Amino acid sequence: MTQSRAIQTTTAAALALALGTALTLGNTAVAGEGAAKEKCFGIALKGKNDCAAGPGTSCAGSSKVDYQGNAWKYVPAGTCEKTASPTSPTGQGQLAAFKAM
Amino acid sequence: MTTIAPPAAAVGIGLKTQHVQEVIDLEPTLDFFEVHAENYMGGGGPMLRQLARIRERFPLSIHGVGLSIGGAAPLDQGHLDRLATLLQRFEPRWFSEHLAWSSHGGAFYNDLMPLPYNAQTLVRVCDHIDQVQAALRRPLLLENPSTYVEFVASTMDEGNFLAEVAQRTGCGLLLDLNNAYISAVNHGRDPWDLIAALPAAAVGEFHLAGFAEDCDGAGDRLLIDTHGAPVAVAVWDLYRRTLRHLGPRPTLIERDQAIPPLAILVAEAECARSALVDAAAWLEAA
Amino acid sequence: MMTHDPVQAGFADALLAPEHPLPPGLVTWNGSDPSVRFDVYRNNVVVSLTAALADGFPVTRALVGEPFFAAMARCFVAEHLPNSPILTDYGDALPDFIAAFPPAHGLPYLPDLARLERARVRAYHAADARALTAEDLVPHLADPPRLPATRLVLHPSSTLLVSEHAIVSLWAAHQGQGRIEDVDLRRAESALVLRDGDEVQVLPLAPAIARFLAALAAGTPLGEAAEIAAATAPDFDLVQALALLIHHGGIAAWKPSGELAA
Repeated sequence: MTQSRAIQTTTAAALALALGTALTLGNTAVAGEGAAKEKCFGIALKGKNDCAAGPGTSCAGSSKVDYQGNAWKYVPAGTCEKTASPTSPTGQGQLAAFKAM
Repeated sequence: MTTIAPPAAAVGIGLKTQHVQEVIDLEPTLDFFEVHAENYMGGGGPMLRQLARIRERFPLSIHGVGLSIGGAAPLDQGHLDRLATLLQRFEPRWFSEHLAWSSHGGAFYNDLMPLPYNAQTLVRVCDHIDQVQAALRRPLLLENPSTYVEFVASTMDEGNFLAEVAQRTGCGLLLDLNNAYISAVNHGRDPWDLIAALPAAAVGEFHLAGFAEDCDGAGDRLLIDTHGAPVAVAVWDLYRRTLRHLGPRPTLIERDQAIPPLAILVAEAECARSALVDAAAWLEAA
Repeated sequence: MMTHDPVQAGFADALLAPEHPLPPGLVTWNGSDPSVRFDVYRNNVVVSLTAALADGFPVTRALVGEPFFAAMARCFVAEHLPNSPILTDYGDALPDFIAAFPPAHGLPYLPDLARLERARVRAYHAADARALTAEDLVPHLADPPRLPATRLVLHPSSTLLVSEHAIVSLWAAHQGQGRIEDVDLRRAESALVLRDGDEVQVLPLAPAIARFLAALAAGTPLGEAAEIAAATAPDFDLVQALALLIHHGGIAAWKPSGELAA
């Protein structure tokens, strides 16, 4: 019990120190430091809100025809083709034709 | 909030997300905006805030597309509650829904499906409208749909059905002249049969939109209600004739696909305004 | 009130299954085949719901291409109709569907990428809640013993994504941040998606920070969450983790426990 209490006490002090430091960090410091640590792609991305809004309902019909459930055969053929190691042995990006329905 | 009677020549457009900022910034010469209720039922976020900003400057019409009033199943109480909350928050001048069904067996099909018009469906639709009006504590405007098939089981025509619903429930009617034209062409009728059957006092709003053209199995014209094109000449003609018959009513330009720049829709709404002004002058002279 | 209607039941049944018979009792004014006209409804349902999915999953769509996405969406729609008329709620089940969809197995990162896109739409429409600011939190510094047992409520718009794939970099590359060709897909990546003001943010997270946030989101007190994260990675940066939450409006409530830690 004594040991557990000691750990918690240490944690309390560590938490207070961390929170105190976090509260004094500016926005740019957060974004910049995060990016450096992540070695990812730089700053936190701004949302593109037209896309984030997602679908909406409408009361209109469509003239595009796409209801037929005929047999079809497609492979993913978009930007995935640009991704690295398309023929890696892990199966990553191995694109095969298929049939459905 | 005080309710001001809308001007006789009130015109509006359906609000699209891509136009919201421009509407807030430029305040176009429109009298109201219409939104689809179901697009504003999220828990929160920017869309509701933006609508609140637009509501500060313009009256709103809230147009439901998911209540399934013509459905055999009981109305979705949760959805009614959400509608009540939305209407309480935005205090729209009008609330409208469709004479159609869109849900069945707990699934939502996202299209406005037709129903036979007979004594049985009349009772069902009236019961549902009574429920909606009680829950929302206001009358709704019921819109005539575009339809592509008819039913052996129908014993009434659409105009008489709508007139009867309005008479029994006290609801108003939203006359969509594009739908009236589309259904008339699709079923080999005169669109005037519908319009002439409607009680003038019940009609509270007009909708105008564009359609796409296809053919049925016999090679006859089959029009599809896409809201993806300017209002057709034949629909403008029907609108002008209707204005002289029923009188001016607030009129909405609907566009849900191939959305053009805001200015194009505003210009189309201004065409409707000219027609409303002309009709008002003609009626005064007559 | 009659709730079963054979015409509506038949209508609904035939909508998603072109091989099923038409509902009984359809007529056309000119005696033409009603199936041509009924197909307009079939088409409206499939096209509108496919379009709804396309709107909500733009990067998923770009990755597989339009024809593949449309075909996959059609299969999804046939199995998962919306259960509400609010279409922004539609699509929660798509990531799991993709994971179980054999034609997409060549792209093992696709389900998690779709989860990221879904999280963004949910974040955009999530309930509003005032996020705690640095000023709100300063008073808690005066009482360190309460900190370990403090629980945080994350903002209602937030979703934590932990993936074995480089879904954050891949998504970013589709927003013009970096090249798709340079993304190392085998790199495990995590992100916190939330709405900060009116903007939906995708915040990349170090694995230990993701572990910390997952613990907090599950209701684990601050002290225990920090220990779990530190045990996962010795370089766990608590300052960074807290600063990220505070500066992006990630904390909706800060609940000190009544019990003191010491």
